Amino acid sequence: MIDTKNLTRKFGNLTAVDNVTLHVEKGEVFGFLGPNGAGKTTTVRMLCCLIGKTSGEAKIGDYTIDNENDCLKIRKMVGFLPENVGLYDSLSAYRNLDFYGQLYEVPENKRRENIERLLTLLGIWERREDAVGTFSKGTKQKIAIARALIHDPQVLFLDEPTANLDPEAAKTVRDFILELKKEKRTIFLNTHNLDEAERLCDRIAILKTKLIAVDSPKNLERSLYNRKTIVHLDNVSSLVVAAVQKLNAVKNLRTSDNKLILNIDDPEKDNPEVVRVIVQAGGNIQYVTELRSTLEDVYLKLIREASAQ
Amino acid sequence: MRLWKSWIVTKKDLSVFRKNKYVLYSLIAMPIILGVVLPVIFIFALNAQISSVQLTHDQLFAAVNQIVGLATMYFVLIPAILPSIIASYSFVGEKIEKSLEPLLATPTTDGELLLGKSLAAFIPCMAVTYIGAAISAIIIDFWSYTTPQIGTFLIPNPYWLLVIGVIAPLACIMSVEANIIVSSKVNDIRAAQQLGGLIVLPLVFVVIFASTSAQISTLLAIGVSAALAVADIALFYLSKATFQREEILTKWK
Ligand SMILES: Nc1ncnc2c1ncn2[C@@H]1O[C@H](COP(=O)(O)OP(=O)(O)OP(=O)(O)O)[C@@H](O)[C@H]1O
Ligand SMILES: [Mg+2]
Repeated sequence: MIDTKNLTRKFGNLTAVDNVTLHVEKGEVFGFLGPNGAGKTTTVRMLCCLIGKTSGEAKIGDYTIDNENDCLKIRKMVGFLPENVGLYDSLSAYRNLDFYGQLYEVPENKRRENIERLLTLLGIWERREDAVGTFSKGTKQKIAIARALIHDPQVLFLDEPTANLDPEAAKTVRDFILELKKEKRTIFLNTHNLDEAERLCDRIAILKTKLIAVDSPKNLERSLYNRKTIVHLDNVSSLVVAAVQKLNAVKNLRTSDNKLILNIDDPEKDNPEVVRVIVQAGGNIQYVTELRSTLEDVYLKLIREASAQ
Repeated sequence: MRLWKSWIVTKKDLSVFRKNKYVLYSLIAMPIILGVVLPVIFIFALNAQISSVQLTHDQLFAAVNQIVGLATMYFVLIPAILPSIIASYSFVGEKIEKSLEPLLATPTTDGELLLGKSLAAFIPCMAVTYIGAAISAIIIDFWSYTTPQIGTFLIPNPYWLLVIGVIAPLACIMSVEANIIVSSKVNDIRAAQQLGGLIVLPLVFVVIFASTSAQISTLLAIGVSAALAVADIALFYLSKATFQREEILTKWK
């Protein structure tokens, strides 16, 4: 659905986005992570045909971003939530959405229906006639999200949708994104929130001017170091250690307090055997847990490496 | 260019203006000042003209027409000044609310947006100008009709039609375009208004010059129209170059 090849944007001497090549499938939620100034917003602006590219190519569906006619079609099929909500404070929530519905060429009946559905879903329908200026930041953000969806776009670009929101409002927005995911829309999500990216995204790209990594959250986490299995016992006896060490599946064993820390290549397959052996050797197991690197560990490591270069 | 798209933008801007007290007051005050106060002052001048000298009917008629003609030029000031107030809200206002980016993300061309926003400044300014002109015409005509020495309507006459029908809208277009260009450079509504006012200052001088010249001259009015038309076309290209997606998002500060 979204394809870029060596997409590059310079501002004078500064290269904001450098040779980014990526591919986003239809129906995929694609997370775009990166530190401040990484070029996330610039990339999204290029993909929405808001600013030009310096070099490279990009396509949304069958349309290319540097063709004037295609751009009108891209803008029509794409929903965009910018970094700043940019609503008209003196107009009502309804009027704001209705205005955009008109610009997106949504027929009047459909417009009314969509506004009612979206505002109801986001819990603002009762306040539809209030001026937007009287709303809290979180409510404004929700209205801006409704605005991005007013024309039922197939592709959605969300630039930091939960920035500045309190945990509850952020959760509403996240749940809403999950709903959209169920509707098989393609979602391109810029975010600083790693937890959010991990929960919502099928795949994640890490950007720092250049693309550093693209993979599913699971694979990214695995990439840092192998997962470890931790077995908590009431007491680690030498009998237990000896029994576990005999197993082929166990590549490495460390003890710490009353814990066994094991490196196992395929824990899903081999852990049941490990547990059985420990029990047979008289160990009393309290917990078996997994120690894995978090997305945060991976993110920080990759960004630091990129900075060091 | 799809005019209906521009019209959507115009209607939105007009409803934003309706909620803005400052814009609303400016729009109401202008025609009252120029439409009522100005003709009343001129009627005093005209009355003085009638009572002080003994003129033939033709001479009196010419003198009275002259004064009315001079007064007419002041009506060019409304459409020249008002856009600096309205356009500053229209463009700098959107900049401050950061609402240009989502607007630019819609399937609308730069030209359609620019036209829509320009119309939103042009329409109320001209509407108010014409209301003011109509009020003043009624007052002056009422006076001239009921004054026994004259006994006829003075307005409309060709000069008045030329000024109100051609010069005023051309001046308004010029002012709107100039204010778009100013808006791209400033971030503050008051600064935009002051700069916008400064830019139409030459026009104000022309108006004052034209309205104090010894003889009202249709030729002068045609000259002013031509100069304004040229300025409008030049500013049109400049404002079009200023109002482009790329420019707005990367250079408008
Ligand atoms: N109009 C512009 N003119 C000059 N430089 C710009 C412009 N817009 C962006 N940049 C630069 O391009 C780089 C990328 O900016 P961008 O806004 O895309 O980053 P971002 O990843 O969205 O950051 P953030 O997380 O802070 O939103 C930055 O160094 C920024 O200063
Ligand atoms: Mg950004």
